[in-house]
Amino acid sequence: MARRYIVVCFLGVMAVLVFSAIAQERADSTSAPKEAAAAPAQGTARASAATHTSPRARAASDPAEERALRLEGEKRFRTNCGRCHQAPHKFPPRVMAAAIRHMRVRALITDEDMRLILRYLTQ
Amino acid sequence: MLTASLATQLNAQTRSDEEVAPVPLLTGSTGFISTFDGGEPHLHPIVTPLVLVPIGQRWVFETRATFETDMVQFPGRSGFHGGPVQKEVEYAQLDFIANRYMTVTVGRFLTPFGIFNERFYPIWIRNLQADPLILPIGIGPSNASSGAMVRGGFKAHPKFNVNYAVYFSTLSTVSPVDSDRFAGARGGLFVPAARLEIGGSFQHGLQDARSNAFGFHALWQPLALPLDIRSEYARSIAGSGYWTEAAYRLNQILFHQNEFRRTQVVARMQQYFVGTNAGDALEPANTKLFEFGLNYYFIDGVKASSNYGRQFSAVGNRNVWTMALTYRFVIPLGPTRSE
Repeated sequence: MARRYIVVCFLGVMAVLVFSAIAQERADSTSAPKEAAAAPAQGTARASAATHTSPRARAASDPAEERALRLEGEKRFRTNCGRCHQAPHKFPPRVMAAAIRHMRVRALITDEDMRLILRYLTQ
Repeated sequence: MLTASLATQLNAQTRSDEEVAPVPLLTGSTGFISTFDGGEPHLHPIVTPLVLVPIGQRWVFETRATFETDMVQFPGRSGFHGGPVQKEVEYAQLDFIANRYMTVTVGRFLTPFGIFNERFYPIWIRNLQADPLILPIGIGPSNASSGAMVRGGFKAHPKFNVNYAVYFSTLSTVSPVDSDRFAGARGGLFVPAARLEIGGSFQHGLQDARSNAFGFHALWQPLALPLDIRSEYARSIAGSGYWTEAAYRLNQILFHQNEFRRTQVVARMQQYFVGTNAGDALEPANTKLFEFGLNYYFIDGVKASSNYGRQFSAVGNRNVWTMALTYRFVIPLGPTRSE
């Protein structure tokens, strides 16, 4: 009985994960053409795109995009971190990298949020 | 096997471009909490170190311990006296970030039932120093589980994120790392645009009465106000109850802004109803508790807090006053200069 319960729980979560992943991939693929045509005020869209590019490509991006990413990172920092505690001051980048990895596990922040927040906190 | 295969499959799609190498950290909090509970004074120094060791790109080892004592006055003796310092390893877990959807955790971990135990428990985070009355429901002895857990948070839709935790805990009778045998899950939806999170928890006991426990939680931070609203409900054979808390930061007062923006007023109402199998950790009778608090944030990580609570219970009403000073520290255990 217990084993069956555990298996059912795992299967349920896995099904949700798979469907959500598919939904997200679909959302990304349908929003990409719109983002390309949109005006440059969409920090979220840029953020999403930025997390899909290589660090070198990001370094080569223009200052306006850098600023948009920074603003988006700050927004996500306040939205995610501020849910539970006061926004901490900035620490050295390697400290922030450790803390954000811990918070990804503890507070279940998303991969994209983690990258944007880390980017914001280490610049 | 399903978990492992899915993790491996999705792993291929995951980018691992953390540009900054994390450094091991010693962090945590320390505090001094004084309580007047029904007129009896208690002094409660506490230190909670947390060691965080990132390993490679995807692994983290983290452990948190608590050292605390409760000092009280004895008749005929001057000053405050306490017993030996209580030491406890709250959790010691190894996390593997399999991909952007899933993290696998093994070891001793905080039971993810509700949100208070995992996210609001540290003294530098909580708005009111007293634990909610319903906290012991669903989290097992010593607030932790020993076993394995799969958890994650991801963007399931452009408008909301999903987070989840599924876990299994085995029976351990070795104090202070005791745990019960149960399995459970918690899920939540977070809407970033509204700063609203709602979720629920479920747990099935695999020993003794094999009973179920469930609960709901909600967090909301309105965009227009510096207000935090948090609430939880839990129910099991040990009892049921809820707490609702509102914390307002006085940012919007136009004079003495430097002082008021650091000040937070808090109110919490909670109620607990005794169940058929209430343990020692829970109140012995139906209880209502109203609390009002004032927090002042000196600098990042240093907070002074005070609160008053009035408890109504069949075993006697009483006032509870609390004053506390808490400090959150972060000490890198390695070079912090980026290469």
